[in-house]
Amino acid sequence: MENAFYQTAKEIVNAGYDNLPTELVSSKHLIYSSPATLSFNSPGAKGFGVKRAGLAVPESVMLLVSPGCCGRNTSLFKSSPEYRDKFFFQLLDDTDIVTGRHLMKITNAVDEMLEVLDKRPSAIMICITCVDALLGTDMERICRKVTDKTGIPCVACYMYALTREKRLSPMAYVRTSVYSLLEKTKRENRDMNILGFFTPLNDSSELYTLLKDAGIKNIRELSRCKTFDEYKELSKANFNLVLNPEARHAAQDMQERLSIPFIEILRLYQPDKIHNQYLLLKDTLGVDFDDTPYYENTKKIIKDFKDKYGELRFAVGEILNGDAIEIALMLIKEGFKVECVFATIGELNYRFLKVLAQLSPETKIYSNLSPTMLGYENDEIDCYIGSDCKYYFDDKPGIEWCEDTEPFGYQGVNDLFTALDAALSNN
Amino acid sequence: MKKFLKYMSPFAPDQSGACSVFYEFGGLIVICDAGGCAGNICGFDEPRWFDKKSAVFSAGLRDMDAIMGRDDKLIEKLSLAYDQLGGNFALIVSTPVPAVIATDMRSLERMGEKKLGIPCIALDCTGTHYYDNGEEKAWLRLFETFAKDKKDTVKGRIGILGATPMETGFKSGDSLKELLPRLNDSSSDAGEYVIYSMGSTLEDVKDASTCEKNIVISSQSLKAAEYLKETFGIPYEIKYPFIPEDIIENVKKEVSGNILIIRSQFASNELRNIIKDSSVDTEMIDCATWFSLNKEYAEDNDTALLGEDDLTDLLKEKEYDTIIADSDCLNLLKSVGFTGRFIDYPEFAVSGRGFDFTGII
Repeated sequence: MENAFYQTAKEIVNAGYDNLPTELVSSKHLIYSSPATLSFNSPGAKGFGVKRAGLAVPESVMLLVSPGCCGRNTSLFKSSPEYRDKFFFQLLDDTDIVTGRHLMKITNAVDEMLEVLDKRPSAIMICITCVDALLGTDMERICRKVTDKTGIPCVACYMYALTREKRLSPMAYVRTSVYSLLEKTKRENRDMNILGFFTPLNDSSELYTLLKDAGIKNIRELSRCKTFDEYKELSKANFNLVLNPEARHAAQDMQERLSIPFIEILRLYQPDKIHNQYLLLKDTLGVDFDDTPYYENTKKIIKDFKDKYGELRFAVGEILNGDAIEIALMLIKEGFKVECVFATIGELNYRFLKVLAQLSPETKIYSNLSPTMLGYENDEIDCYIGSDCKYYFDDKPGIEWCEDTEPFGYQGVNDLFTALDAALSNN
Repeated sequence: MKKFLKYMSPFAPDQSGACSVFYEFGGLIVICDAGGCAGNICGFDEPRWFDKKSAVFSAGLRDMDAIMGRDDKLIEKLSLAYDQLGGNFALIVSTPVPAVIATDMRSLERMGEKKLGIPCIALDCTGTHYYDNGEEKAWLRLFETFAKDKKDTVKGRIGILGATPMETGFKSGDSLKELLPRLNDSSSDAGEYVIYSMGSTLEDVKDASTCEKNIVISSQSLKAAEYLKETFGIPYEIKYPFIPEDIIENVKKEVSGNILIIRSQFASNELRNIIKDSSVDTEMIDCATWFSLNKEYAEDNDTALLGEDDLTDLLKEKEYDTIIADSDCLNLLKSVGFTGRFIDYPEFAVSGRGFDFTGII
């Protein structure tokens, strides 16, 4: 068995983005299915996949129309209180697939759903999968039919794993779906939405304070909406702040339909870049706020950590709240060593990789998805970050850093180092 | 409405069953999917995945692969993985995507064998069937492919056919071995048990002809047992020694009156026999299963449940005092007003709950 494939940052950058080795391009090899890749192969198994995401609309229910296998892992969260009575399954058999007769049964399935529900849902999300992608099913038409019959808004969610590497991936599309029930209303000058995640930002993120300082009165997030009425208020926003590129299409759609413009910034962990982003945000909005105290505080926290632990050697994985290469770059810039990064290289993080290659050319870049990872033998590290790294380095101190609550800005960096401190102290 | 689940979640599909049989034999296992099926199999249906490495891969199919039918690309990927990792054989498991585009699995098999030079098995799963269907195909192909030569019979060597985590709810062969004394086998010296697919090797499969007899624990492994009987003259018996002791004790203590057992067929039959052999006062004991029911091993009132409606219809038709089943169906039972005694007997292929690991994976 071959050793796990890697290239150094320097080797990758020297060859260029268009010449990534086969092992680092997921479409060119089989995808290794290990616990470290669970989030890639089955996004819903941990965190949010299309099924959970589709239910982000408050008081909605979901009908999954698919072969049984597509809904199998729903058992994982169906029993939790917030998802009880939320999922229904219309299972396809071979004849359904050949004749498409399942489409005729959807309205009957919806009738049966409504019969057993204690409360009329705000919306019905119909989730379809690869089978209907290949059959070319027009689910929008079926949804209109359901709405006409029941008077309940019905929205299609596309769990098309086949298209996961398209510009509009299933997770990007479902973000558009969950905002699609918003209707145009009078916008309020001091209202805004944060788009990007299916769980709220950490309450202690300075972003909230800075936006309030800038005069924003109502900051709304889909995940904080408890009722459908609260959800409808999202259309009052004067602008949307997009924190995750996967929400860009949803923001564009809201710009077209609801005339709500958007600004996009990234979740970053490099303090100087966070500072720059806030400066740009300030300029773009034409408002004033001061993030300097937060910036200084974060720099102090990092310094204190470094003084306490010295030049730790890190492994950074990709199953975490952030980008593996950007976090690795931050660590290197702050004077730590990064022995290895487990990442999927794309156009966005290649920009970070180029800088990383200059500062730490020998950092190894692995792909979790490569079949050769079956033979991975651990690198010498002191500490890890990432759920995938926990699989590889279970005997080392580290943090998974992929809780449901989303870290953002300086708060994210502060909490990252606080969590690392706790993990190392406990070791 | 048939095939509509209001209270329960979908059961383990055929592709999970197929993988489960081959998981421990050191082959390259390729799930011919876009990723989601492999994620479901490994992240949910295969409890061994977290602590026993196996070369399970997703083909990583993309829309253009499906539209263009790029079988050659899949074989190239498989060949690359084989060059890197080696392997005893290659297993390609179909899923809904190849089923919809009518991928010729036999052709894939031939292409794989030609390119890799090792046995290649392609199993035609669709994701619309349940684990028992996938296991049935896998058990048969496993022995047809590898158990070809007749070797001398070893006295006391007994094969256990049909054990997988999905069928038994246990994830390790060691846990199963602890329960084997319950077989109480007096017909042989019975010292050496081979539990195929759980704690055994591909060599054990190749040496299948050395077994004195086979114990068949699932209806889906009957065809493989028949194959071994016809090819090597190995007789088989139907038994199910893997019901946990605490379940048996609980059942003996709690059941009374009319009883319904919902479990895979041979496990239900075994539990029924245990109840009958005990001093428990019962009237009627019916068995039902969400999975396949072999009429030859069924009693008159035993039923195959094709969906939730079949169970609600059954409960409207008959009054049961006790139901023994996976608690995943409790809400369904409550919806039809069942107020009798309920005994939880977890069934991994239903709820993902097992016995020698903590709760749901």
